[in-house]
Amino acid sequence: MEMKRFLALGMAGMLSAAALVGCDNGGNVVDPVDPVDPAEPGVTEPGEKTTYSEDEIINFTMFSAMPGSEINDGNAAQEEIAKRTGVRVKETWLTGQTAEEAVGSILASGDLPDFIDGGDGMVQLYENDVLVAWDEYIEKYPNLKELYSDAEWEFFRQDDGKIYWANVFCNTYGEPKATGHNDEAFWIQCRVLEWANYPTIETLDDYFKVLEDYYAEHKSFTDPAGNDIPIIPYTALCDDWRYFCIENAPEFLDGYPNDGSVIVDTTTMKIVDYNTTPTAKKYFAKLNEEYNKGIIDKEFATQTYDEYIAKLSTGAILGMCDQNWDFNYTITPIFADTKLSDLGCEYVPLGLTIEPGMKQRWHTYGDTLNNSSGCAVTTSCEDPDAAFKFLSDILDQDIHDLRFWGIEGQDYLVDEDGMYYRTQEMRDQLNDSTYKASHVCNYSYMPQWLGTSKDGKNAMQPGEQASEFYAGLSEPLANTFKAYNAGGYPDMIGSVVEEMGIWYPMYSYSNAMTAETAGGEAWTKMGTVKHEWIPKVVMSGDFESEWTKYMDAYNACKPEDFLAEMQEELERRAAMAE
Amino acid sequence: MANEFEQVENSEKVVEEFVAETAKNEEVEVKAKESVMPKAPSKLKLSKGELKRQSVLLVISAIFVLYGILFYYLPLGGWIMAFQNFKLKTGFLHSKWVWFAKFKFLFPTLKFWTREFWDGEFIRVIRNTLGMGVLNLATTFIMAIVFAILLNEVKNKFGKKMVQTISYLPHFLSWIIVTGIVHDSLSSTGIINELLRNLHIINDSYNFFAHPAWFWPIVAFSNVWKETGWNAIIYLAAITAIDPCLYEAAEIDGAGRWGKMKYITLPSIAPTIMILLVMNIGNVLNAGFEVQYLLGNGLVQKVSQTIDIYVLKWGISQMDYSLGTAAGIFKSVVAIVLIVISNTIAKKAGQESLF
Amino acid sequence: MAKDDFKLNYEASHGKEITDEEAKVLKKLAHKNTKKMSTGDIIFVICNTIFLILFTLITLYPVLNTVAYSFNDGLDAVRGHIYLWPRKPSIESYATVFAIQGFVQGAKITVARTVLGTLSSLVANALLAFVISRKRFLFRSQLSLFWVITMYVNGGMIPVMLLYKYLGLTSSFWVYVIPGMVSAFNVMVLRTYMEDLPTELEESAQLDGAGYITIFVKIISPLCKPVYATVALFVAVWQWNSWFDAMLYNRLKTEYTTLQYELMKLLNSVMQQSGSGNSTSQSTTTSKQVTPVSVRSAATVVTMVPILCLYPFLQRYFVTGLTIGGVKG
Repeated sequence: MEMKRFLALGMAGMLSAAALVGCDNGGNVVDPVDPVDPAEPGVTEPGEKTTYSEDEIINFTMFSAMPGSEINDGNAAQEEIAKRTGVRVKETWLTGQTAEEAVGSILASGDLPDFIDGGDGMVQLYENDVLVAWDEYIEKYPNLKELYSDAEWEFFRQDDGKIYWANVFCNTYGEPKATGHNDEAFWIQCRVLEWANYPTIETLDDYFKVLEDYYAEHKSFTDPAGNDIPIIPYTALCDDWRYFCIENAPEFLDGYPNDGSVIVDTTTMKIVDYNTTPTAKKYFAKLNEEYNKGIIDKEFATQTYDEYIAKLSTGAILGMCDQNWDFNYTITPIFADTKLSDLGCEYVPLGLTIEPGMKQRWHTYGDTLNNSSGCAVTTSCEDPDAAFKFLSDILDQDIHDLRFWGIEGQDYLVDEDGMYYRTQEMRDQLNDSTYKASHVCNYSYMPQWLGTSKDGKNAMQPGEQASEFYAGLSEPLANTFKAYNAGGYPDMIGSVVEEMGIWYPMYSYSNAMTAETAGGEAWTKMGTVKHEWIPKVVMSGDFESEWTKYMDAYNACKPEDFLAEMQEELERRAAMAE
Repeated sequence: MANEFEQVENSEKVVEEFVAETAKNEEVEVKAKESVMPKAPSKLKLSKGELKRQSVLLVISAIFVLYGILFYYLPLGGWIMAFQNFKLKTGFLHSKWVWFAKFKFLFPTLKFWTREFWDGEFIRVIRNTLGMGVLNLATTFIMAIVFAILLNEVKNKFGKKMVQTISYLPHFLSWIIVTGIVHDSLSSTGIINELLRNLHIINDSYNFFAHPAWFWPIVAFSNVWKETGWNAIIYLAAITAIDPCLYEAAEIDGAGRWGKMKYITLPSIAPTIMILLVMNIGNVLNAGFEVQYLLGNGLVQKVSQTIDIYVLKWGISQMDYSLGTAAGIFKSVVAIVLIVISNTIAKKAGQESLF
Repeated sequence: MAKDDFKLNYEASHGKEITDEEAKVLKKLAHKNTKKMSTGDIIFVICNTIFLILFTLITLYPVLNTVAYSFNDGLDAVRGHIYLWPRKPSIESYATVFAIQGFVQGAKITVARTVLGTLSSLVANALLAFVISRKRFLFRSQLSLFWVITMYVNGGMIPVMLLYKYLGLTSSFWVYVIPGMVSAFNVMVLRTYMEDLPTELEESAQLDGAGYITIFVKIISPLCKPVYATVALFVAVWQWNSWFDAMLYNRLKTEYTTLQYELMKLLNSVMQQSGSGNSTSQSTTTSKQVTPVSVRSAATVVTMVPILCLYPFLQRYFVTGLTIGGVKG
């Protein structure tokens, strides 16, 4: 029991991570038929609006195979949505199991909810014939159809030719509004940049140069509480699945996007292994050099995630490579709370490359279509039509606002220009989990939009509202953006703006590999070898010989089997796109 | 003076003789009792009269056997999954039979005299599991007994209750909390490194988690820390069953604290110790998952990965019910073999046995 | 008088008569011995006390540490390095824990399953142990083996699930009580204790024509109080801490949720929030924010306190010691 509980914690993190990757990047841009006219199809006419009484309201259940927050019965937003749509959904979440286990046990118990998002266990649901096909309802409800283009819908078809689920994330309506960079980057504290007079930092060498220079003059600093904090210029997390922090930088340094497990060379349409490229060797040699210089945290290889976060939150770490979602949501409020943000301890992302003058794709613009899981209706649902109607209704702008902005006057205000905004008091209130449980109802694993609201002004979701973004920027952070002439994080990183190929991202395939194939077996073995050897290589006194040993151990895993299967999948996806 | 000294020495001998004699007498007494009481089952025959006399016992055990079959043995039908490529949709009846393929995956070669066999990942994992299992068993087991006996020597009732209450509390902390504290204490800024630095044993912080040699002892220590007080409860209960007359008699014979512990307390709880030892030996392959998972890292993974972690890596996280079941069967078989062996040894040695 | 006492005692314990002279010598010796031992005793007591105090401090530390974290501000706790006292005191984590919607219902079910589960399990285990500990019982060894094996085998989640579903145990309260009623481990502990009990009383009762049930209820059970208390504690703690079964078998039945399951759900949701962040605020001061570290600690303390309260009632049976020797005489 203990083990399963624990396991889920790890998996949970991975799942939420997977759900988040690439989701705040704009993507899947849909051109609204007429963005300024709110009375167009898909939006309920104000006159038609009916309210439902308690006995008319249908109660549905939903299970999402991700960890999440259960909301209270009688939740204000949920009740309002129920009143307007005639449906109330009780959501339950993954606890202490993996998605596959949870789906397996739900199937075995025969106790299916009305809606389900099976996460990694989605295929099991399909194989057991417990899902209701979307096809007829996509035609019936334009709100649903609008979610994806016809070509994109094709991607959700299973081998029986029908669509059983739709991914609910990464759909941008109208103009993208993203101001954040939720992906990976080499991060650096604002104060280092300020001290160095906001230099242009392009390569890995530039980056470590500035860290070294700063460290030469600052061995420690005094935090606002008066503590003397010794500075650690750089750390790299290697804990369990989070070892991507040290492992996958070579693909980005070579200018490729986050395909995850491999590089896709777009000129030849070939899969390239980023673990063995000359860039990889240069990168690890650089880390080794810096480690031996004392620039890198001595405990980087053995620290746990909690220790890593604790270190970051003291402001001691000048820079590291990580995904934004892996640290910043925890660190930012702590910095604000401890006033370290006023000292310029907050991090900005840098789009580094191995050589100067290269294009890079740390920030992904455009579509990340994940067809492996999504929202589905089960055969246990007694009224599938009502279920699909509900999925459609909650995309109406007024309901969508209720879901993400909350109740007007209480959770947000509207100024004379029709722009939504929040007071600091409201923001604080919305950070309180008790308040959220009784007032906020996202239905977060049901269809939703990012981008611009159908009113043509506001953002679909408050996180993308520019005013909300700038409202909380600390002075050093604002100065840094100004110095680099950046309007937000994506500008700061300066990646090439381009649409990803339809195969993107390849990790959606490697994540689903099993040990049943030679490639899957190789993939698991490669992971094991990398876990052990990467820290060894970085910490070694003799890089060359250690690197050779690493490569021998790595090649013994037969990475070619894995690469061959990835190549096959790439070709399959490319063919589908045509 | 010398005379008196001699006398004392002599009389000490007398006392010793008395003690020995008493023990002998008691032994004879026990033997006598046994011969009077119809104890040995071999003497009992499956006669009608005997069956009738035991009818109550038979009915009760029949109910428990039915219960056991229903809740423990029936689900073992699931073991056929290990021989199939089990998929939920096709179920037990229609999943593809792969026979021993899953076991072959665990043991790619059975030629145990070759290097290849011993270098196999599963073998390494078994070695780790056994190593940690035995080390944990030895340390937690001995600590619990020592703790219970020492606690029993405390005469201050309040102090005794206090110590006992506190000692079992860590049992309620989850592994994630305990390992967090262990990590904290052993980190470069932790108390252990600070202590070592202040004692000038080391100059620079020592990273305990980067060295494979430290991993097993750290796991064993964590187990002792968390479970000693909890495990001692059984022994404390067993100690209460000791006849206080025995202590009095020993006191009169001049036995000191050590003597009483050695000749009275320990032998009296020996049956409990034996039973728990035999049961726990069957559990050495369940050396755990969480603690290794939480304390381990890439640098020590060669010594930290246990069977459960292996199954997770290759099985559960990849929807492979069958592999997990195969590993489970392997563990069960080993456990049963181990307890049968240890039980037989215990029996032969004239100790309490499980069955 | 004292001399006589000593003599009688000695004779009783050694089963042979001694002369007054011998008694004198022996008494002197015994006295000398006790005196001589008492220096050893003093050293022993000192060492023992030091050892136990050290041990207690070491085991107390993680508990106090958890309490300190639980009373610390959530965000601040993430920074670590809190030892015995909260750095930034706050009861927000407890407020969050007690604000769980299912708290009351979960607590009710947890108390019910703990009480019912412990009682039924105790009766079942004791009865089975009683049968196995009867030395005359014909299938003693076979029955033992049958149950010992159950400790080391399990059919896995799916078959068990299918079985419970077939028996109608899923979506019901009884799934918490019935399947886990017999635990071979506890049976063996009980049995060992029962086997070591003096047999005189039982034998005389048997001569008086008492049946097995009478012997079990009237003779064995009163003597077994310490071990009953031990097993009751084991079962109660296990029942109290269980949450996985609630999730597995009563996922959609909120009326059968347990406290621990509710706490797990809360912890998971807090972890998920801190992992995915709060899209509404990139950087705001949030004094009321809870974090996994603080919620986990608070939930642990909330779980621990009731058991801590129950403990003294059981503890007196196995710490103070019973004078069951009285039975023998």
